[in-house]
Amino acid sequence: MSYIIGSDVVRYACTCGILKPISKLYFCRHCLEVRCGFCVCHEVDSHFCGKCAENLPSSEARLKKNRCGNCYDCPSCHQQLTTRAATVGPKNPEDPKATPRKVFYLLCLLCRWSSRDVGIPDQSAVSGGWPERENIHANRLQEIQDMYKGIVLLDKQQKLEKDKKKQRRYMSFTDRTGITASMLRKRVGLPDIPHPLLKPKPKEPEPAVAKEDVEELPEELLTKPVNLCEVTTMEQRLVQPEWQPITVEKLFPIHKQLSVKRSQRCRSCEHNVSKPEYNPNSIKFKIQLFACFHIPEVRIVTVEPLRAGKTCELLLKFSNPTQHQTVITFLPVTLEMEETKISEQVTEDKSVVDDYLLEKKQPLSLTGTGSQPSSLLHASLSRQPSITVKPRPIAVPVVADITIPTSTFILPPRDDAAEYDDSGDTHNIQDDSKLVIWRKSNKAVVKLQVTPKEDLKIGDEVVAGFTMQHIYVNTITTVDNKEPQKCEHKVKVFVTLGNLVGSE
Amino acid sequence: MTSRNTIKIHHGSIVCEESKLRGDITIGSNCIIHPSAAIIAEAGPIIIGDCCLIEEQAKIIHRLPFDQSDKENTPVLIIGSHNVFEVDCTVEACKIGDNNIFESKCYVGNKLTITNGCIIGAGCRLTEEQTLKDNTIVYGRSCQMREGLDRPVPQTLQMDTLSKMLPNYHHLRKPNKKNQ
Ligand SMILES: [Zn+2]
Ligand SMILES: [Zn+2]
Ligand SMILES: [Zn+2]
Ligand SMILES: [Zn+2]
Repeated sequence: MSYIIGSDVVRYACTCGILKPISKLYFCRHCLEVRCGFCVCHEVDSHFCGKCAENLPSSEARLKKNRCGNCYDCPSCHQQLTTRAATVGPKNPEDPKATPRKVFYLLCLLCRWSSRDVGIPDQSAVSGGWPERENIHANRLQEIQDMYKGIVLLDKQQKLEKDKKKQRRYMSFTDRTGITASMLRKRVGLPDIPHPLLKPKPKEPEPAVAKEDVEELPEELLTKPVNLCEVTTMEQRLVQPEWQPITVEKLFPIHKQLSVKRSQRCRSCEHNVSKPEYNPNSIKFKIQLFACFHIPEVRIVTVEPLRAGKTCELLLKFSNPTQHQTVITFLPVTLEMEETKISEQVTEDKSVVDDYLLEKKQPLSLTGTGSQPSSLLHASLSRQPSITVKPRPIAVPVVADITIPTSTFILPPRDDAAEYDDSGDTHNIQDDSKLVIWRKSNKAVVKLQVTPKEDLKIGDEVVAGFTMQHIYVNTITTVDNKEPQKCEHKVKVFVTLGNLVGSE
Repeated sequence: MTSRNTIKIHHGSIVCEESKLRGDITIGSNCIIHPSAAIIAEAGPIIIGDCCLIEEQAKIIHRLPFDQSDKENTPVLIIGSHNVFEVDCTVEACKIGDNNIFESKCYVGNKLTITNGCIIGAGCRLTEEQTLKDNTIVYGRSCQMREGLDRPVPQTLQMDTLSKMLPNYHHLRKPNKKNQ
């Protein structure tokens, strides 16, 4: 499947200007804009261990340095270690009643490294209680950490005092979320309890001392052949920065790094476009506004051999993923998108348009030019954007022209049962037979004319683009608008058609 | 070379009839050879030791490097005991010791000598001329090597199960040699 949807042959332009295949895009139903992983806010929802699926609160995860306490990775090849059981003879072999004991050791199933290799004693419990190693620099690191914590606190304190003088009228976003007891005390006018780490001047640890006499280069490095089975590789050293073992007998199991569940949030309206279920065992989503559920998918069926300056036929297949009928219109693609994009954003955020304009210093005349229909303006839904992303120009060399057809075509809604229905398609759609050459349930193949530019050389990659306008039915209901609303959504589509062949 | 197949099977071995055996092959006692495993003695005889497990689609081919093919005396490929050839491995090594494991889909070229207790990891491709030392473990995409502590444990349990199961569902070649 990934070779169809995961390939970069058909790419959609995200609102931010980056081109991505549809499988990597989100569609915010509130702004009606395409978003990608690059232009959404990523938030960590939860930390969990990928092996034992334990869920850790973020404070505990930070305390454990984002590692699981019970699971280990192989220090040799970084795969997961599994616990293996072995039976050994009883403690006192003279006793005839003694039963053989079970002991446990760690084994890597890929490179067969085992805890026995480095002489870690076998454990009598499954969960281990594997010996932890103490970092010899732990004290110094702690000192340095404390100093920086002190500096951060001092910084915050000074900032708060400065802000107090400024007299603020409203709360900022950080106050709403990151409020601490100390801040609250300050707000209601109580004297603050001094933080244990807060000192007038943070205590500085002893500075590092430069050393002149270093160890001699061991002679045998130059005289003896190196046994590569005994020295560790660069990866093996760097994966344990505290110890950086040089020889293989110093490799010790590594605590498994935790994974996170992320939710993605639209930066313009702060609604989630993707939110996974909290439970680490679940692979489902609470919110999944993936573009492939909302925007028609385009696939290349065939294209005639591409020759410079010659018109050839291009067959594209469109499929409608939504439960609503849609109409697709082709429009020419414009690469100079910046101005219009900003104006569209302005129309969307009409409620905050004044602040926005003052901030952005945009000429007022732009507000009227937005091409979006008025149904887009959910006054109650649009909020002030927290971060405004200025779209970048689309960086793709479009070297072929697509003749934009004047007629439009209809895509019926998706019907999962249609695949099992042998009675044939019963829809009566009047198609422009020059455009639509095949259709079945929610899919249609259209024929387009594409002309690579004259000045292309043989072997050049040919990319063509068009703007696809489709009718999108927004099912989000607002207080003053209970009906699903129809609107026209435009997205730029770029197709990589292959390489130019010799002209006849 | 020879169109005639000379297959000698020692007592206690389970050799499925569908397995592809070509050339002069001697199989030790208590071996298990699955159907559709292939042993091809092209350049000379193959002698397999005791208790070897040769799984489905495994290919053991005795083929000489091009620069040695014109020698007069025919070389013999000797495979030791307790070796495991896992599913779809291709082994052309010119000498194999005891207690080795060739994991699934690995490839061992004909310039290699395998000693004892080696593990060739799944999917690893070894083609360069070399001798693998005792207890060498080859693993991963870039065929990293490390030295194991000990020989891998023999798969006795698996062999026991197979020797009970296989005769129920497959026709077997009759052992034609008494143990010495
Ligand atoms: Zn984007
Ligand atoms: Zn864990
Ligand atoms: Zn490992
Ligand atoms: Zn949004």
